Amino acid sequence: MVKIFEDYRRLILGCISIVLFFLAWEALLTWVIPMNKFVISKPSLIFMGLFQDIKSGLLWRDLAVSGKPLLFGFGAAAIIGIPVGAVMGWRVRFGYALDPLLTALYASPLVAIAPLVIIFFGVGISGKAILVFTLCVFPFVFNSFAGVRSVDLLLVNAVRSFGGKELDLYRIVIVPTVLPFVIAGARYAIGRALIGVLVGEFFAASEGVGYRIAWYGDMYVLDRMFGYILVMMIVAVIFTEGIRWAERTAFPWRVGM
Amino acid sequence: MTREYIEAKNVNLTFTPPNRMPVTALQDFNLSVGEGEFVSIVGPSGCGKSTFLNVLLGLIAPISGEMSINGKVITKPGQDRAMVFQEFGLLPWRTVQDNIGLGPELRGSSKKLRREKSQHFINMVGLSGFENHYPHELSGGMKQRVGIARALVSDPEVLLMDEPFAALDAQTRDIMQSELLRIWQEAKKTVLFVTHQIEEAVYLSDRVIVMTKRPGRSKKIIDIPLARPRDYEMRVTPEFNNLKLSIWNELKDEIDSLGGAVLD
Repeated sequence: MVKIFEDYRRLILGCISIVLFFLAWEALLTWVIPMNKFVISKPSLIFMGLFQDIKSGLLWRDLAVSGKPLLFGFGAAAIIGIPVGAVMGWRVRFGYALDPLLTALYASPLVAIAPLVIIFFGVGISGKAILVFTLCVFPFVFNSFAGVRSVDLLLVNAVRSFGGKELDLYRIVIVPTVLPFVIAGARYAIGRALIGVLVGEFFAASEGVGYRIAWYGDMYVLDRMFGYILVMMIVAVIFTEGIRWAERTAFPWRVGM
Repeated sequence: MTREYIEAKNVNLTFTPPNRMPVTALQDFNLSVGEGEFVSIVGPSGCGKSTFLNVLLGLIAPISGEMSINGKVITKPGQDRAMVFQEFGLLPWRTVQDNIGLGPELRGSSKKLRREKSQHFINMVGLSGFENHYPHELSGGMKQRVGIARALVSDPEVLLMDEPFAALDAQTRDIMQSELLRIWQEAKKTVLFVTHQIEEAVYLSDRVIVMTKRPGRSKKIIDIPLARPRDYEMRVTPEFNNLKLSIWNELKDEIDSLGGAVLD
């Protein structure tokens, strides 16, 4: 028993605090503060509501609806952001020219332009996909930029000295240097992509996770609303931790760097 | 043994860094090294020692003059030369085995053949058991053993070493020096060894070339007539110390009294 605890100490302690959090929440609203269900909900009701949304298939439909713009926007951000960042890294002038503008855009809360994007591109998938793209293209740009900048000239020279040609340099030095940066960028991007979808659906949608959260809120069905928020948290954790796990598995040398 | 196995004839090289004055790294640089010889080059910081090796390696083209190995003029990197780098230059994402197999891989040999070849040199440099380690799991001395094995696996005629032990601590450096002598005697290569350390140059070399401060030319060639095989005790003999002193006397005029050249 003690042995198991020692081996999985991190996992066990982490889970305990999550369980305690929900128990404390439940207890507080059951015995300490009388619960007004138009203001707050508690875990037992949330899980029951969530169970109903799962059983009726509503949750899956909403997830599928929200998944599409997420996928398209995220994919387009990777396809466009990575090459732009790479060129900024290689061509000094191009980098100097774009860096301040893109940095400003990256730093600013771009969800503010959500209404404008919806006006331009409509309430369908495209508007939301573009909002997602706008938010998560920057981590791809800046991380591939940093990746290209950190290509070690010594390694380039070493590979050249053993007879490496241009293509060998890409395969042996440049791609392995840049790839971990890009994957780390994807980890940031996915969080921003989720924000983009939710905000887009808050503004203009008739289904989808963001729409459902807003709608349940308007209807004061707070247990269902919290259920959806919980699902979003789980999705975000699965994505980011999944990518983190992929990084550790695919780039074992980075453990020591 | 001919003295003209490696030859540099009137090599000139000037760099122009962006927005800076041009820097003359090598000026009328001449040198000749015999086959199988171990020659060290010592000189003040920034005198163009490393630049010289990069030209010989075929990474940089000189502005005028030429370098040749066995009569063949150098225009690009070739299998007859291999470099051991000061900061190792190992690929962090590759295991010891795959780092050492780099040369054969670039020449298109099969994975099986690569593994066999690298295994031989892994054993030679004393790294058996570490085939599947990544560079970050190795000590500095072990990293440079990988660097040496990687250079030897291509079976080059000439081994170029650019301050290979400068990044190591003093004791590891002593051990690596005797290891290098052992490997050199086993592998029978011509070695050009760039170093800051006079003692290292005397201990390892058949001849030591002293370079001037920048622009670098060869100032003086000093023969090291110490018997081989050499051992650690030899370093405290009067002959050894006299050789060190004569090199120091040549070198001290070249060293900037302010404490070294400004690297730009």
